[in-house]
Amino acid sequence: MKQYVLKRLLNIIPIMLVVSIIVFMFIHLIPGDPARIVAGQKATLEEIEIMREKLGLNDPYIVQYKNFMVGVFSGNWGTSIKSNLPVWNVIVPRIKPTLILAIFSIIWSVVAGISMGVISAIKRGKLIDYIVMVGATSGISVPLFWLGLMLMQIFSVKLGWFPTTGVDSFSSYVLPSITLGAGITAMIARYTRSSMIEILKENYIRTSRAKGLHEFMVINKHALRNSLVDVITIVGLQFGFLLAGSVLVETVFAIPGLGRLLIDSILFRDYTVVQTVLLIFTFQFIIINLIVDVLYGIANPKIRYE
Amino acid sequence: MKKIVVLFMVILMTFSFVSCTNDTKQEETAANVEPNQENTEGKSEDVNMTIAVNAEIISLDPHNLSDTLSGSAADTMYESLYDYKLDMSLEPVLATGYSVSEDGLEYTFNIREGVTFHDGTELNAEAVKYNFDRVMDEEKNLRRRRNFLYVNSTEVIDEYTILIKLDSPFAPMINRIASLSVISPTALEEYGDQGILTNPVGTGPYTFEEWTPGDKMVVRANPNYWKEGPKIDTLTFKPVTENGARIAMLQTGEADYIYPMPTEQVKTVESDENIKVIEGPSTIARFTFLNMTKDIFSDVKVRQAINHAINKEAYAKVVKSGYAVPLTSHVPTTIEYQSPQPEYEYNVEKAKELMKEAGYPDGFATHIWAPNDTENMKGMQFISQQLAEIGIDVEVIPMEEGTLSDSIYSPQTPEESEVNMWYVSWSAFDIDGATTRLFHSSNIPPTSPNVSYYMSDEADKLMDAGATEVDPVKRAEIYAELQEVIWNDAPWIFLGSDVLLSAKRATTEGIFVDPSGGIIATEASTTK
Repeated sequence: MKQYVLKRLLNIIPIMLVVSIIVFMFIHLIPGDPARIVAGQKATLEEIEIMREKLGLNDPYIVQYKNFMVGVFSGNWGTSIKSNLPVWNVIVPRIKPTLILAIFSIIWSVVAGISMGVISAIKRGKLIDYIVMVGATSGISVPLFWLGLMLMQIFSVKLGWFPTTGVDSFSSYVLPSITLGAGITAMIARYTRSSMIEILKENYIRTSRAKGLHEFMVINKHALRNSLVDVITIVGLQFGFLLAGSVLVETVFAIPGLGRLLIDSILFRDYTVVQTVLLIFTFQFIIINLIVDVLYGIANPKIRYE
Repeated sequence: MKKIVVLFMVILMTFSFVSCTNDTKQEETAANVEPNQENTEGKSEDVNMTIAVNAEIISLDPHNLSDTLSGSAADTMYESLYDYKLDMSLEPVLATGYSVSEDGLEYTFNIREGVTFHDGTELNAEAVKYNFDRVMDEEKNLRRRRNFLYVNSTEVIDEYTILIKLDSPFAPMINRIASLSVISPTALEEYGDQGILTNPVGTGPYTFEEWTPGDKMVVRANPNYWKEGPKIDTLTFKPVTENGARIAMLQTGEADYIYPMPTEQVKTVESDENIKVIEGPSTIARFTFLNMTKDIFSDVKVRQAINHAINKEAYAKVVKSGYAVPLTSHVPTTIEYQSPQPEYEYNVEKAKELMKEAGYPDGFATHIWAPNDTENMKGMQFISQQLAEIGIDVEVIPMEEGTLSDSIYSPQTPEESEVNMWYVSWSAFDIDGATTRLFHSSNIPPTSPNVSYYMSDEADKLMDAGATEVDPVKRAEIYAELQEVIWNDAPWIFLGSDVLLSAKRATTEGIFVDPSGGIIATEASTTK
């Protein structure tokens, strides 16, 4: 297992190199001149020329890529074209809000999603099953910004329980994480349910019941654990996406997170920030995938690593 | 290992069995804590006010920013020699007066005495010169340099007098001087060009407290301000891009002022007695460039026909929710030297007649470009529908902004240009800024956005004359003539000028939005 993890960690290096090339190509191939966008509509041609030269945008792509990589390895990630601040000063304050939001959302989605899934699998075909599944389907289909604004109108404006926007206290995160987690809760509920239903038909479940095991143990120890493999995959993937930030929720609740930073930077053609943020996203996705793979083995010891 | 995992699962399960009902309970407890916190916050002695805005502050370096919001944020801490009042007239701030030499080449400014920067440095002619030198530095290429290209040199005459020499007479110079905020030279030395971004030190009514790029900026009232300042302790600028959220903040009182107020939501807050909606005129002109190098738009009759075929009242209603007024010249009425022209009245028959005379009785096909957001889409669709009435078939082509900018500016010659119509807006402080870049023949792309490729010797001469004529009466005559020429040549579809909407809590006083969309909070106060 240790060897497996080590091998996977070493694999990150070539992957990141390839990704860096793709990322670099994509942002330089989309039309739009950062010098002109940043300088604004009223800039003079001379001003734009000087800026282009200063930003190194007149160099051949190969040279620009080389400079970018040299910067990455020497720890000098450059200056944001848009704000003129060092890239890390722009990115670092954005990580915390996104991280907290992602963790809150995933925790409540896992807790609520799995319980909903288990309950409706046990009560399959009964009223409660239908209620839960209708709820789950609506959770997936409801537009995030609508849900966010509704929650804000009810819980902030009418009831005054939570602040409308911002990240000033933990209570500010309640509404955004409910909004963000709604879809994932629904997804987890549905996966848990279908996987549980399959497993509850298995022979070993019948055996455990036949030997007089308490129903609670049957569900928890045998059924749920075996159905968790599917759920872990979903949770891992979704968590990866959440860490990449949800632009919609961040926009609605005015949360200064990574998702909004990425979109704003793309619109501004702020190459240095876009490159760095995308590399961070790639890196965390690889790491989460690795964690998910390791968790498989824990949930199901039948899975072996080579 | 295995035991730990099992334990984890069990905990998870016990949690989850009760969680369905518990979830809401947890929220309730969290919620109960909240109002208490607010109460304690309210009890603290500071009076805090918050302005919610729709974009992020990009920069706090007043010499190196090009967007209005960053300008407003920086203006809470920085001041210039002269500045605009709400009616767009100029008033002395850090200067007490100025004089111009007869040839219009030398400007002498008297600097206000007894003013200190937030770091204690004294304001004097040396400090002002330091700022001029910084902004004019070609190497640094700061964004405000474009306003001082005509300045040759600056000279300190005595402690409180500075002389500014120009290469050639430039009439809007005093307007451009107004755009130069004065930064503490000591702070610039200490923090450098990048460090000054996050360590602003000026002479303004507020001192810097904190700024998280992408999030809020907080400033604190300056106790040593040289004139009457704010009657609050702290002021926060908070970016809230979502319209609904900005309104919600105003409803709960988390925001004391919001700008812009979304036009489509005015009705929702009208009944709320805690909220007041404020309307004001703007310097924003909305129009459509007609590329005159294209055959279809080369005939002035076609361009006039198009202007007659568009119902400007309907434009204001449909596209701007009623918050726009028709343009009566190529510059809005808020700009000094504006001179109203006879309107292109909405008259489809007359437009058809003109089209026939121009040789297009059945119209033609063309296309219109603009960014792909809702409001621009509405504007393009409106123009397309109106022009269909006179047989012009306009294809609406929305583009992502960077792509649009590339499509406009990468063609090196008029022949290469593919743009037919560009639906866009422009805002400037003075008539030169609202004219030369858009109409002078030397400013066609890729140099500048004269996207009509309007090349008129007559207009060029008038623009040059207006920019160098120092006598205000003669200048007014020149600009009146210029506006008539441009209006009759109709290189644009003249659409409208925005009405700016902001909204405040009834308790809020002393915060205003000027016609350029800048927020002024020098004398902010609240009764909350």
